[in-house]
Amino acid sequence: MSMMLRKITDKSFTGLAGFSVVLIIMALAVVLGPMIWIGATAVVFKGTVEFRELQYDLHQRGDRGRLKSETSEVEKVRKKIYAQIDQFKRGIDTESLVAESRKKYREYKIFLKSQNLPDEQCDKLEDNAKEIRNTLADVYDSTDKDTIIKTLDELFAAYPAKQFEHTPVAEMLAAAHDYQTVARTIDLSNREKYAESLAEVQERLTKLLGPRPGEDKPALIMEQYGATRWDVAQKQLKMILWIEDWEETEPGKPMTKKLTPRSNQFAGTTLESFFKNLETDLPNLLKPQREFYWQYFIDDSTEGYYYGGVGPEIIGTLLFTVMGMLFAVPIGIISASYLVEYAGDNIIVRTIRICVNTLAGVPSIVFGLFGLVFFVKVLMPALGYESKPCILTGSMTLAILILPVIIRASEEAIRSVPLTYKEASLALGAGKFRTLVKVTLPAALPGILTGIILSLSRAAGETAPLLFAGAIAVGPIPESILEPSRVLSYGSYDIAVGDRYASMVPHKQFGMVVTLIMLVLCLNIVAFVIRSRVSRNLRGQ
Amino acid sequence: MKITLLLTLSCLISLTGAAIAAEIIQIEGSTTVGPIGGAFAEKFMQMHPDVAITVKKTGSGDGAAAIVDGRCDIAMMSRFMKAKEFENAVKNGIFPVAHVVANDGVCVIVHPSNPVKELTTAQVRDIYNGKITNWKQLGGPNLKVVSISRDTSSGTYETFNKLVMKKEKMAGNTEYVNANPQAHARVKSTQGAIGYVGLGFLDSKVKALKIDGVMPSRKTIAKGIYPVSRPLFLFTNGYPKLGSSVHEFCTFYLTETGQEIIESKGFVPLTEY
Repeated sequence: MSMMLRKITDKSFTGLAGFSVVLIIMALAVVLGPMIWIGATAVVFKGTVEFRELQYDLHQRGDRGRLKSETSEVEKVRKKIYAQIDQFKRGIDTESLVAESRKKYREYKIFLKSQNLPDEQCDKLEDNAKEIRNTLADVYDSTDKDTIIKTLDELFAAYPAKQFEHTPVAEMLAAAHDYQTVARTIDLSNREKYAESLAEVQERLTKLLGPRPGEDKPALIMEQYGATRWDVAQKQLKMILWIEDWEETEPGKPMTKKLTPRSNQFAGTTLESFFKNLETDLPNLLKPQREFYWQYFIDDSTEGYYYGGVGPEIIGTLLFTVMGMLFAVPIGIISASYLVEYAGDNIIVRTIRICVNTLAGVPSIVFGLFGLVFFVKVLMPALGYESKPCILTGSMTLAILILPVIIRASEEAIRSVPLTYKEASLALGAGKFRTLVKVTLPAALPGILTGIILSLSRAAGETAPLLFAGAIAVGPIPESILEPSRVLSYGSYDIAVGDRYASMVPHKQFGMVVTLIMLVLCLNIVAFVIRSRVSRNLRGQ
Repeated sequence: MKITLLLTLSCLISLTGAAIAAEIIQIEGSTTVGPIGGAFAEKFMQMHPDVAITVKKTGSGDGAAAIVDGRCDIAMMSRFMKAKEFENAVKNGIFPVAHVVANDGVCVIVHPSNPVKELTTAQVRDIYNGKITNWKQLGGPNLKVVSISRDTSSGTYETFNKLVMKKEKMAGNTEYVNANPQAHARVKSTQGAIGYVGLGFLDSKVKALKIDGVMPSRKTIAKGIYPVSRPLFLFTNGYPKLGSSVHEFCTFYLTETGQEIIESKGFVPLTEY
């Protein structure tokens, strides 16, 4: 019976253990899977011609000739899109039409003066142009479709465009012609509504294709290019093609979402086909192509992390971590050796041990504030430097954060060295110090290294201690350890709390987090290799 | 291993030696003003490659503390300095000078499915102090109100507290989030939620409410018609020396480029450029 019971407990334990392992693996997959998946899109994605242009402008990457031919091809397709919008705008934006015809009239007057024509003929031509200008001004103001079409037809008949060929008046008449075409198709009383919707379309189109050629270059790099990624482009396209509306289904209930195609708004007008064209032409407008953007790991980013990579953040994280280790490891090992080998076992030592253990459980933000108050405000001025957060203060803060872990691990490692080792060394005539340095510490090294590996990962990922003691959101790569630096952990926090544009680029945030994970993994692998080599040496192989 | 250690050490030491070639301007403070500071920094460093600018966004209160301690050159703040902070600054021999770089409105937002279009400041106050708990009371659907506020150290909270709450206490069930994007995300995903964010965070995913009959927009905020409008500040220690980089940075908002940047970051420029 008891045999049976034992077997059952055994089996059920094995089952439970297997189940928990599966659970852990699943949790890892659920947590890390999507993160790595989205993060990977920061490096591997479908880039558009805008991306290649940006890469060339900012870093001179890519083949200039190929890029040029590509942009000129794209430009051709884009021209058609813009032309369609411009033509429709003529019928909507009457104010600028009136202003334009005034300007053209003035230009024509100057043109006439330069022609050296007889006075009489000159006056007549000028009168004609004036007549055209005034008629047009009236027509542009009017909202009566029939009158507009009729008046314009009469005008075109009275003043055939041929008569004014190659003069500003011809351009004036061409504009009027466009206006007539549009006026035939739209409801003129709804002009303002059209204008509003058109303005939105144009704004989105700028985000999709970048500023139009010939327009002023915007100040920020973020706005100098269109959608650099195919997924972002499709998001923008969706916003152009569809209008999101909320409508009431029944009173007293929340409203429901309704998507209507924007082309419905422009039904019957010359712009109706624009939306269809845009959708089908999008690949030709942007030329998406798979990109492997490995430079993500070395590039600087533009403000708000909109474009670019995480180079400075990687350098900063490495600097902080390595510097923190340089401070913490020697102090940690020395104090651990002292506590185990020299201090004996009395009430003071026990108190110190409890304090160290408590320190390991203190929230990291407390260390951050301590770093600010002590290192930045007291130590830096005492050393004769400016009282400003920098890599030095940040890494010292990290050092005290990881010190307890290193001390604990080293203590355990030193204590687990077999007593016979020490006795052998002492018997051969070595002193206490020599025994520690030559026998105990080398034998304890693998254990100590485990502690270092653990604390290394923690130091690399901490945000709170660096928040006040040396990390920044924007800034150049540091030139000395007396300057603050960007780090991966604070960077991803900054994306979360920062800009409204940050929500447009989730892959940047995930990319940063995945980079951090990879970095910690690499550091761990390095430490792991060192540890296995040390223990192999120890075993005398 | 020893060799690598030595190498790293010598590298670091040489780094210290090569220090202080470029001028550094350190900027710290509000998460709301942060995007302006960051964008100005990007453009400024393009124009002056010899100047290095660092920006840190931790909150208006931290910005004030940093300028008071002399830990930064420019503090970004979305509220004015408090009397206590001024006192401490003067005690430290620091004389804060305010530069208003842009205007911003604190916009009250709800989930787009909410049919309520307009509230008065008194109604918003009643929602936040717990007198109104259901949208039914405001003519909306039968939904519990979930009120979202910013954390109490943020400048946006201070503005809202002063202009809308009139310093009345918020109800105990108010949720506090620590940045504009979080408030936006929380309202976007909760049907009965109400929150407040800066003008730049309005989009189609949330619905801005008219307050006292005024819709928040560039025009109404610039003219101060919108009741919860506020200026955004940069603070320096004394007026910066004329011609210095800090002076140029603090007056960058007056240039056409500066105004354009402010507008494209979703804030209201001070002048019509």
